Amino acid sequence: MATTRETARALGLDRLTDEHLAQLERAMANVKRHTDRLPADLTPADEPAHVYPAQGSGR
Amino acid sequence: MSELEFLSLAAAAELIRAKKLSPVDYAKALLAHIERHEPTYHAFVTLTPERALADAKAAEAEIAAGRWRGPFHGMPYALKDIVDAAGLPTTGHSKILIDNIATADAPVTAKLRAAGGVLLGKLSTHEFAVGGPSFDLPWPPARNPWNRAHFSGGSSSGSGAGLAAGFFPAAIGTDTGGSIRNPASLCGIVGMKPTYGRVSRRGVLPLAFSLDHVGPMTRTVRDNALMLQVIAGYDSGDPASADIAVPDYGLDLERGVKGLRIGVIRHFYTRDVAADPEQIAVIEAAVAALTEQGAEVREITLPALADFSACGQIILAAESYAVHEPWLKQRPQDYGARGRERLLAGATLTAAHYLQAVRWRQRLKQQSLAAFRDIDVAITASSMDPACRIDDDAALATSYWRQARMPFNVTGQPGLVIPAGFAKNGLPLSLQIVGQPFGEALCYRVGQAYEAATGWVERHPAL
Repeated sequence: MATTRETARALGLDRLTDEHLAQLERAMANVKRHTDRLPADLTPADEPAHVYPAQGSGR
Repeated sequence: MSELEFLSLAAAAELIRAKKLSPVDYAKALLAHIERHEPTYHAFVTLTPERALADAKAAEAEIAAGRWRGPFHGMPYALKDIVDAAGLPTTGHSKILIDNIATADAPVTAKLRAAGGVLLGKLSTHEFAVGGPSFDLPWPPARNPWNRAHFSGGSSSGSGAGLAAGFFPAAIGTDTGGSIRNPASLCGIVGMKPTYGRVSRRGVLPLAFSLDHVGPMTRTVRDNALMLQVIAGYDSGDPASADIAVPDYGLDLERGVKGLRIGVIRHFYTRDVAADPEQIAVIEAAVAALTEQGAEVREITLPALADFSACGQIILAAESYAVHEPWLKQRPQDYGARGRERLLAGATLTAAHYLQAVRWRQRLKQQSLAAFRDIDVAITASSMDPACRIDDDAALATSYWRQARMPFNVTGQPGLVIPAGFAKNGLPLSLQIVGQPFGEALCYRVGQAYEAATGWVERHPAL
């Protein structure tokens, strides 16, 4: 819990109670399950799209 | 109970147009029904009977004067309480925004108002569309009308519960990781998550910008198509809005499925997650029924459900933390426990995690669209199980990943959930129909064919 409190403080979450810190610990463990699945084989050219949509006829 | 509570939107619209049903009498009947049963099902955060009767009187006068605006004229509806309606609270079902009053209509509200809709009120949601069901918020969670001891689904929980209870024929929901389609599944109603960009999100509290969708919830497929017709369209004020013409969703509704190419994403509910056998059985029965009607059905394969889920949850956690960070820092005690825990998930994610997930999404989207290249629509599960008890914390936690909805928030494709039968315990089971981007009309066509052949939508809970 002390480590989690330090982590929370470093994030600016210094108003979290012990109950909230326990929730943060569970949340971190949960999200780690997902980040562990991130693919390792994304190439440098795999970029998130940021495009200007062409004007259509939906107005 | 009168016969008005479970009248379809389409049937009510015909009666109103023919001046055989007074919008004022209709609104009064539903308000009386709500007054009787709302204390049991908690669908509403805010009821607006005065506004409803004023809207209904205005509609009635216009129709009497020969100025019928269309099927939504005089139609009662309600909004999930993250959608703005000018002058009314938008609380997000949270103490954080308990005093927040909207200053303008969201475009979706404005469209329903312009169509002549009769606003009954604002509906229960999971806190900020993410944390629920919760008993530590200013309002109780919605209950499932098929069995109030069970979960109504969420986060558009009041929308699902209110439709199943006959409180209104149409409601607005939102869907970031399945929040229209989950209550549609568990409450036995019809919910459409349209294509990303099809319906404006402006004036709707954001959960995760790149996954958020607004959509119609109704009791029948035809009603859903009628409501999407009203709310779909380009909005220059929504950066993700699609500038693409809105088709006539009713045009091909009755054309049937003969010759349509329908994919079945079977691995989602058999290999990736083993669904409840009763849920599997109703999907396979639907496959058989659609084949019998002349559809060409073939199995297709998408990336694993767990990949879509992980990608979507990372994006959801990062984007929602960006929205809630100031409140989590200043007022963490004002969130409910479930909402706080869900929203804190983004606190320790790195920029690299988020960007890798967004890059991954592009790949998943391309793989999904490739799988859809030679089919018109696909069918698969929505929920893997019927509704669990609302007080069963372990089952509720499991229900977050025992679903096949997040893939289509990640890809942005439309997903229509319709009733597909009932479990032995009397709770609804469901089917999801997924389309190509902007292929809502075909989803409706398949849904209508299945609905007409089965009649599940004719059943209603005994309140």
